[in-house]
Amino acid sequence: MHGRGVAPALTGFSLEVPAGSCVAILGPSGSGKSTVLRLTAGLDAPTAGSVHLDGADLAGVLPERRGMAMVFQRPLLFPHLSVRDNVAFADRVRGVPRRAARRRAEEYLGLVQLDGFGDRPARALSGGQEQRVALARALAAEPRVLLLDEPFSALDVRLREEMHELLADLRARLEPTILLVTHDHAEADALADSAAVLDGGRLLQAGPLRDLYARPASLAVSRLLGGRTEVAGTVVAGVHHSPLGALALPRAFPDGAAVLVLRHEAVQVTPPADPAADAVGTVVRVRRRGLRGLVTVEITADGGSATVDAELGPGQDVGTGRTVGLRLPAEDRWVVPVDDASDGPSAGGPRA
Amino acid sequence: MTPTRPGPRGRALLLVLPALVPVVAVVGAALVSAALLSLGLAPLVGEPGLSLDAYRAAAGDLGTGIGLSLGIAAASTGIAVVVGLCLALAATAAVRRSRLLGALAALTIPIPHLVGAAAIGLLLADAGFLARLLGVDPASWPPLVGGQLWVAVVAEYAWKESAFVALVVAGVLATRAASYGETAALLGAGRWARLRYVTLPLAAPALLSAAAVSFVYTLGSYEVAALLGRAYPEPLPVLAYRLFTSIDLAARPQAAAVALTTTALALLVVLAALRALRRLAAER
Repeated sequence: MHGRGVAPALTGFSLEVPAGSCVAILGPSGSGKSTVLRLTAGLDAPTAGSVHLDGADLAGVLPERRGMAMVFQRPLLFPHLSVRDNVAFADRVRGVPRRAARRRAEEYLGLVQLDGFGDRPARALSGGQEQRVALARALAAEPRVLLLDEPFSALDVRLREEMHELLADLRARLEPTILLVTHDHAEADALADSAAVLDGGRLLQAGPLRDLYARPASLAVSRLLGGRTEVAGTVVAGVHHSPLGALALPRAFPDGAAVLVLRHEAVQVTPPADPAADAVGTVVRVRRRGLRGLVTVEITADGGSATVDAELGPGQDVGTGRTVGLRLPAEDRWVVPVDDASDGPSAGGPRA
Repeated sequence: MTPTRPGPRGRALLLVLPALVPVVAVVGAALVSAALLSLGLAPLVGEPGLSLDAYRAAAGDLGTGIGLSLGIAAASTGIAVVVGLCLALAATAAVRRSRLLGALAALTIPIPHLVGAAAIGLLLADAGFLARLLGVDPASWPPLVGGQLWVAVVAEYAWKESAFVALVVAGVLATRAASYGETAALLGAGRWARLRYVTLPLAAPALLSAAAVSFVYTLGSYEVAALLGRAYPEPLPVLAYRLFTSIDLAARPQAAAVALTTTALALLVVLAALRALRRLAAER
């Protein structure tokens, strides 16, 4: 999907979506994740490569014959139709009689908790309701694959969580196959069974989200998944050496320069005298997140300094400037190769 | 005493006043004087007295003129709507978009009707360009210019107005047709279903407004029918102009009567179009 002299939007991308599962494509804007959806839907044609559905190549198959429905970031409800007729649209163009199509539309409106909204004009709805109708309309088409292109990113936080619950509920009832595009790893985590991390048109890593969080393949993946702690150092015989000291790794890594990544959820903040603390440092920054706080701790050693982000337990409170101990559980330590391409930290530093 | 401030309605009225005053002054004054003239209340000679004599005197010509004018306007608007819609669809299609067609349609707009009429005349006359190109003898060439069916007149209006319709409809479709079309396609709608269930309903209000404007314009315009039409019967504007410039000063009230009738017809069409637009909006 590229012209002469233009960098391709996607290269070497291959992804499998098992039937009945929800796979998220996670990436920053401009990473080519929407291109994946448009190619899958047949809205754009690939310059090379192919899309297969149930083993059949979809090359040359028109979008309307692919059996896919898409929900975009904007609801795009047909303004000239009522809410009910929007949902009945797929049935109507399939030739289902009006009355039967409308009856089925009511069922799908019920599924998205919008019973009784059928008579309203499409434009007389709130943003969240519009997106629910768009979802009902797509589901009513009984697609073989449901494509979701950042469908909830224009909604406010509360509505987004409601939509996440609704979608989880719909998945349990209808078991649709879903390909979801999002830039929000929390959304992917909430909705999808597995994710593919995409950046610059390349697939960086794919797998269940637990794996991606715990064992990112690269710094870029760690950052896209919200990883904050990156400490540069060297691996020698399964031990990472850095300003944090010598930290034994849970499994073997090749010797050489490597960056230690730690999820802030896994790091525990303890009193400085804690004998089990792996490192002792000074709190340089505190960020509030409801009952929990997120602290940045600076650790200085002979070899330089490093910063580690940690999430406090509920009710736990430390002020800036305090000296604290940090427990870095061995099973949560992970190292990734030093990333030459990006501005990798030289002495380790969190990214806001 | 505190000065009374205008409410929101009053303020809105004040804001539109600069636009309202010239319209009311010019159109209102012209209409009132034409009405007075046609009803015998402002005669050029003699005593003023309310009468329908002017309407009665012009009745015969007025009847054929109304039929003819409505016929020409309906035919040319009908063709313009179909052709203009096709042009707009071609110019905004997601696939195989024709920029050339769009550009050609846009080029048509600034050409004055008078020039267009002359060009159509040169093209379609019995000794015109088309007849020569096809090698047809002028005697056996159908009477397109000045003929019974007013073909050249309808062709000129249809050609000009189709460009106008295309411009208006393409403007509406350009911003929304692509995304709605994609959505519809992914819901299983093929080309025809998309046209019928999505594109046409989206274009309908713009199409209706453009058709109404085009119809009213054609109904009231003079030069094309005068240049390319026949001497008798006359469409309303041609009739009005002939009566008004007649050396017989007694024909002036008749000219005013014809002009007022034309205005009333146009007003009826505009009101009908507004009503239809409102109904269209209420359905949504």
